[in-house]
Amino acid sequence: MKREYPNQNHPLFNTSSSASPSSSVNLRPDLPGKSKMFDEFNEQDAGVDELLAVLGYKVKSSDMIDVAHKIEHLEGVIGNDDDLSQIVSDSVHYNPSDLSSWLESMITEINPIVQQPVVDTSFVNDLQAIPGNAIYPPTTTATKKQKTSVSGSVSSSSNNQNSIVIVDSQENGIRLVHTLMACAEAVQNNDLKLAETLVKQAGILAVSQAGAMRKVAAYFAEALARRIYRLNPKPEQNSPALQNLLESHFYETCPYLKFAHFTANQAILEAFAGKNKVHVIDFSMKQGMQWPALMQALALRSGGPPTFRLTGIGPRTFDHETDHLQEVGWKLAQVADTIHVKFEYRGFVAESLSDLEPSMLDLREDEVVAVNSVFELHQLLARSGCIEKVLSTVKEMKPEIFTVVEQEANHNGSVFLDRFTESLHYYSTLFDSLESSGSGGGAGHGGGVVVEGGGGIAPASDQDKVMSEVYLGKQICNVVACEGLDRVERHQTLTQWKNLFDSAGFESVHLGSNAYKQASMLLALFAGGDGYRVEEHEGCLMLGWHSRPLIATSAWKLR
Amino acid sequence: MSHSICDTILKTNKHNNFPINDHMDLLIEILQRLDGRSLSTAACVCKKWWSIVKNDSLWEHLCFRQLSMPPSVGIRSVVMALGGYRRLYLVCVRPVVSRLKRRRRVSYGESSEVEMWLSLFSVECYERLLGGGGGGGGVVAGESTAKSLRFLCEGVNV
Repeated sequence: MKREYPNQNHPLFNTSSSASPSSSVNLRPDLPGKSKMFDEFNEQDAGVDELLAVLGYKVKSSDMIDVAHKIEHLEGVIGNDDDLSQIVSDSVHYNPSDLSSWLESMITEINPIVQQPVVDTSFVNDLQAIPGNAIYPPTTTATKKQKTSVSGSVSSSSNNQNSIVIVDSQENGIRLVHTLMACAEAVQNNDLKLAETLVKQAGILAVSQAGAMRKVAAYFAEALARRIYRLNPKPEQNSPALQNLLESHFYETCPYLKFAHFTANQAILEAFAGKNKVHVIDFSMKQGMQWPALMQALALRSGGPPTFRLTGIGPRTFDHETDHLQEVGWKLAQVADTIHVKFEYRGFVAESLSDLEPSMLDLREDEVVAVNSVFELHQLLARSGCIEKVLSTVKEMKPEIFTVVEQEANHNGSVFLDRFTESLHYYSTLFDSLESSGSGGGAGHGGGVVVEGGGGIAPASDQDKVMSEVYLGKQICNVVACEGLDRVERHQTLTQWKNLFDSAGFESVHLGSNAYKQASMLLALFAGGDGYRVEEHEGCLMLGWHSRPLIATSAWKLR
Repeated sequence: MSHSICDTILKTNKHNNFPINDHMDLLIEILQRLDGRSLSTAACVCKKWWSIVKNDSLWEHLCFRQLSMPPSVGIRSVVMALGGYRRLYLVCVRPVVSRLKRRRRVSYGESSEVEMWLSLFSVECYERLLGGGGGGGGVVAGESTAKSLRFLCEGVNV
């Protein structure tokens, strides 16, 4: 049984032809079996319209005609309003769930131009498996739409040729969250039919939102749909080139990675004080962005720089080019050379950190070791015994300091609904912070916007923001849609990590006031600066958005 | 533009019996008191002025002039290696200082601020290396700001 939107089936509407000039939706008028459905429609109703009831509106079917008339009237009024029709026709639509595949193709073409295709939002098609397709066109003029608040309207279409009346209201936002939660609960109870209906409703409601809420809802709805229809993407399919691209945009747009690097570097610098030969083992080599700053600080320390050895560990890259890890090493060596720091580098390919053995690393007697891990350890929790093995390997390296940066959230609970709720809050906060820092200079300071010389280059553009969102979207997908070994985004809170490290034989090293100062200064430089907070918690530093901590840096040494 | 203005200045100077271009030390004293923007403008006046302003020591002076203590030894060689003081000023010092001033935050301490400039500068230098595909002279080339420092740029009000 496929339920169409009730208004559409009603014979009264097919005659109406108040065509607004700016229709961005075309409902297919040629649906088969319409009259039959109309009978079905009448039969099944026991007073209250079912679909609207799910949305939270109690409308009697007998009143539907009235409601439809009112919507039509409203449509006419809004259609005559020049501003609004302008907004509706000017909006550019693109499809958040397709961005991943678009980006993959972009990498191979090496074409950096962003294409924003206009998508025909015909959401009549119930056969669309994933509601992400074509249902939520996030518009660039979303903020303007907020102003047009018409209370109490239903965001649906009343006529073949009318455009969507999109209304942003608080109630829809709350309903959206409730719908998502109800859907997650249905998934947990294995009630897939209900889940299916709910996830579609969530999709429709998401359209009425603006900004961060819309995007988060879209990603979560898509992830839920993937879970329902079992279209889980395997993590191995993520091409490292795409991951690197997304991560580097994430690095630029918001302070989380910079915070991680600067605070970890400060701890390592302090641990290396007075030592002449130092060796850093980096579990999260990626592009090596963390190390130039450390090398510079070592070059300038009193007493001169030590001999600096770096071992970078990363996954295999499938490029036809040369070994990516080696490339990164070369570039770092160039930097080290110019600032006169003796530098030695070794890159290790390891699909999983548990494959690492201390004997591979050529640990030397007279060297002081630091181990660094940024957002890597949580992936080990997918396989039992993995994290314990890695921690014992770290112990065998006898590090002077072990710096760990992880997401501050519990996304590894055994109950799906709890995980879902937690991650919904976490990523909503994260997306909120992206909204403000994305416009690099917009929200942060009052008064006019000044053109600065020295490059005069545009701040983090919408493209950067979008890339960061895709980066986070992949994490969301993994937390919600995957299970078992595939689910690698198993974030844990600092307290949980503390217990783990305590029982493994590590004790906490307090990050000093220098780290705190650097962190605060860094945040003050970001456009959304006032929203970010650094907090110190038992010697560890946490970066959060408003009152919610999002990532935590901690340092450890052997007991 | 520069020739005629230069001529005018020289003519005026001759008239006043004080050609500034004959007194380099005085010129440098004056230039040392200018802010970044004026210094850049001064570079456009004539070839002689350009060659003076191009010299990094003026920019070094500009970077550290607000600080109470002189920068520690060794900073100079690192900064020169990473791209020079003029670049440091344009890319790190000016944006950081103006942002922090605007935030009206409590002072973080001079050494912390200098550390921040240098950290950001080293990341920027590295990014240029990465982005340039290892092309020769990657450390000094190009005027475009590396992506990692874009967050320091102000928006353009179109």
